[in-house]
This record gives sequence, C-alpha cells and structure tokens, in this order.
Amino acid sequence: MEFDALGPKYLGWLINGFWITLLLSLLASLLGSVLGLVLAVARSSSWALLWRPAWAYIALFRNTPLLVQLFFWYFGFTSLLPEELVLWLNAVHHLVLPGGREWMLPGYEYLIGVIALGLFASAFIAEEIRAGLRGVPHAQRQAALALGMTPTQAMRHVVLPQAVRIALPPLLGQYMNVIKSSSLTMAIGVMELSYASRQVETATFKTFQAYAVSTVLYILTIALLETLGQFLHRRMHVASQP
Amino acid sequence: MDFTVVFGNVDYLLWGAWPNGPLGGAALTLLLAGVSALASAVLGGVLGIALAMSRGAVQIALTLFLGFFRAIPVLMLIFWSYFLLPIAFGIDVPGLLSVACALSLVGGAYLAHAVAAGIQGIPRGQWAAGLSLGFTRMAVLRHIVLPQAMRMMAPSFVNQWISLIKDTSLAYIVGVSELSFVASQVNSRVMVHPAEIFLFVAAIYFLICGGLDLLVSLLNRQLGRIADL
Repeated sequence: MEFDALGPKYLGWLINGFWITLLLSLLASLLGSVLGLVLAVARSSSWALLWRPAWAYIALFRNTPLLVQLFFWYFGFTSLLPEELVLWLNAVHHLVLPGGREWMLPGYEYLIGVIALGLFASAFIAEEIRAGLRGVPHAQRQAALALGMTPTQAMRHVVLPQAVRIALPPLLGQYMNVIKSSSLTMAIGVMELSYASRQVETATFKTFQAYAVSTVLYILTIALLETLGQFLHRRMHVASQP
Repeated sequence: MDFTVVFGNVDYLLWGAWPNGPLGGAALTLLLAGVSALASAVLGGVLGIALAMSRGAVQIALTLFLGFFRAIPVLMLIFWSYFLLPIAFGIDVPGLLSVACALSLVGGAYLAHAVAAGIQGIPRGQWAAGLSLGFTRMAVLRHIVLPQAMRMMAPSFVNQWISLIKDTSLAYIVGVSELSFVASQVNSRVMVHPAEIFLFVAAIYFLICGGLDLLVSLLNRQLGRIADL
C-alpha cells in the first residue's frame, strides 16, 4: 500500500463533493424543518383529520430505509409523471444571470436528493418538536388563552417558541443525521462527498487517502455542529436564568 | 398501479435464489440484521460498562473512540471495513461480513452510550448498599445495578434494531443481495412499474420496523407504569 498524497486534481474532486454534501444537507434540513414543524403541530392536534394523517406520515417515513425512499422517488415517482415533464426534468437547464452569464442548474437527481432527504428528515424532526411541545407546561397555553389569545396565537407566540428551545439539542442531532444520511444520495448519482471518494479511489487506487480525506471532512463538520450545539445550549441556559 | 411485476418476482424479493442458490432478499436482510444486532449488543454492553465504570483519561479515550463511529456516515464505515478487513486478515472477506462488521460497530457505539446512561441512572445508594454487604464492584454491577438498568435500556435496544434493519439496505452499495439490492436488480431487469416494486419493498421494511416501533411504545408505556408506582 502506498501512502503518497492525493494530487490537487483529486483533492479538488473531494472538496467539490464536500460542498455538495453541505449544500444538499442545508437545503434538505430547511425543507425538513418547515415540514417537520407543520407535522408536529398537526400530530399534536386533537382533531382526528389532522393528527391521523400526520401520524401515518411520520410512521411511514421513519420505518422505511432512506435508500428505498430515494429509489422510490427517483425511479418510482418519476415513472408516474407525464413523459414530457420527465424529459424536461432530465434535460440540462441553464439559468441566464443578469449580465448574460449562464449558470448550469444541477440535474434532476439533485432535486430528488434534496426532496427525498428533506421528507425523510421531516418525520424525525417532527417527533423531536412534538417532544418539545409536550415539554411546555400546560399552564403556559392556558395563561395565553386567559389573556385572550386564540388557540392558534397561543401556539404560535407562546408554546411553539418554548418547544423549539427545548427541542434544540435533539434537533441538532437530527441535522447531523441529515449530513450523514446525505451520503446515501450517491446511490441515485448525486456527486456528493462519498460519491467523490469512490470516484477518486477508482481513478487513483489510493483507497486509504481517498477515504481518509472524506472521513476527516465528515468528522470536522459533525464536530463543528456539536461545538455549536454546546455553545447555544450554554447561552440559552444563561438566558433562561431570571 | 399494476402489481403483477411484484407478484411475478415475489419469491426472489423475499428469499433470493434460495433453495437453488444463495439466500437473498428479505431473508438475507433479516439474517444480516440478526447477526449485527447480536454483535452490536455484545459490543455495546461491554463498551457501555467500560464507559460507565472508567474515569479520567480512559473514559475520554473511550468517548472519542465511540464518537468517531457516531460521527461518520454508516456508508463511509462500510467502505472502510470493505477495504480494511481483507488487508487486516489477508484473506478475501465477503461483502456480507464487512457490512455486518460495520453495522455492529456503529450499533455498538450507539448502544454503549445507552448502556452507560442506564448504569449511571441507578441511584448511588444501590452501589453503597451492595458494597456494604461485602459485594465486589463487579458483583454489585452484575447482581444489583445491571438487572435494574436493563429495564431502562430496553427501548434503546429495540430502537437500535430498527435503525439496524434500515441500515442493512446500505449493503446494496457493496453488492450484497439483500432486499434493497434485489429490488433494484428486479427494477433494472423489468424496467416497468418501479413505483410498485419500491412500494412493495418499503411495505416489507415497514412491517418489520413498524412492528418493532410498536414494541418500543409498549415498553415505554410499561416503564412509565413502573415509574408511577
């Protein structure tokens, strides 16, 4: 086994993959958070027409593998769309920026990657927020209602902000999971960090170096989020002191 | 929706080419999950006890070691074990074994923290009482602390099994013919009705994992009842 370093060209591939991993995770986390919030509120509702579908969604997305979900959206869902739309989605598109510069838009697999990862994450994020909602004392809501707020206002201005604060540490854990899970999108051809490390391995046969660089990049990202979490936790702890 | 393609391949999806060939499909998924669950339980138990009983530098080293397995994607770990195991043992290691190895390590790392938390959750008085009765530290752990801690850990173990079963799908990447792999094989062979194929496969996973998920809520409810007493 040889231990000479990877050339700048191959390091470039890995860095490129790393940016895609970060961007993909960010977009999927945003989608997952918005949807997760809606799901958590719906799941906590006492109205069966709201909580039953939310419950079913959460159970379905939590209890099936992300890989199968990716395959379902990429192959299955796509096959149900009209043919012209699929052709258009699979074609290369350019965005013309002001000033006449053209920017190539990422392919269909990136779109599916973000959506599938976001939908998957939303089920887990919803459960964390719901646990946060249950952690807010019932008197908070009653006090808000007594002050003349509608149930929606009480949820929006009193209960939800406190619930999100309680749920923040486990939520950060879910965002870390999104970053780690984004590696699965390589199965549908998204050229993120794991995909890039396989590509570099095939091109150079420097398996150890290729995997080591991507492993370090993953660990650094997770460690950074962990530190951020501890910082936020400490700051919020101080903020909640009278 | 046309599920005839699923019915035509249902044998292959459930147990691969067996009995005329190697085991595959859902049966291999269960086998892989079973082996990894057992190995990760042993690993998680030993490492968890070590984490709870150690102090100072040893504990920090152990935490960092476990942190490594929790910080990298399972997929990356499968790459590593697929690459390193043959070098370490100098023999050709089948993909199945390297995936089982990676899944056991990840599962063990997560379970170790659950086990350590379970042990640390037992009141100090239990330790003091055991030691004052003349038990050694190990005997207190074995006869007094662990039996009580087990009850608290049970939901974590079942939750870990659920993750494990879902993670066996990653064996697809190194060509192990478990459920997800045979599904994509069938999909690329027939080229029609991919939605039906993957819905069927998702339903199989859902039955297994959803059943375990139900078990977790039952366990939690029972734990709540014990706590109320």
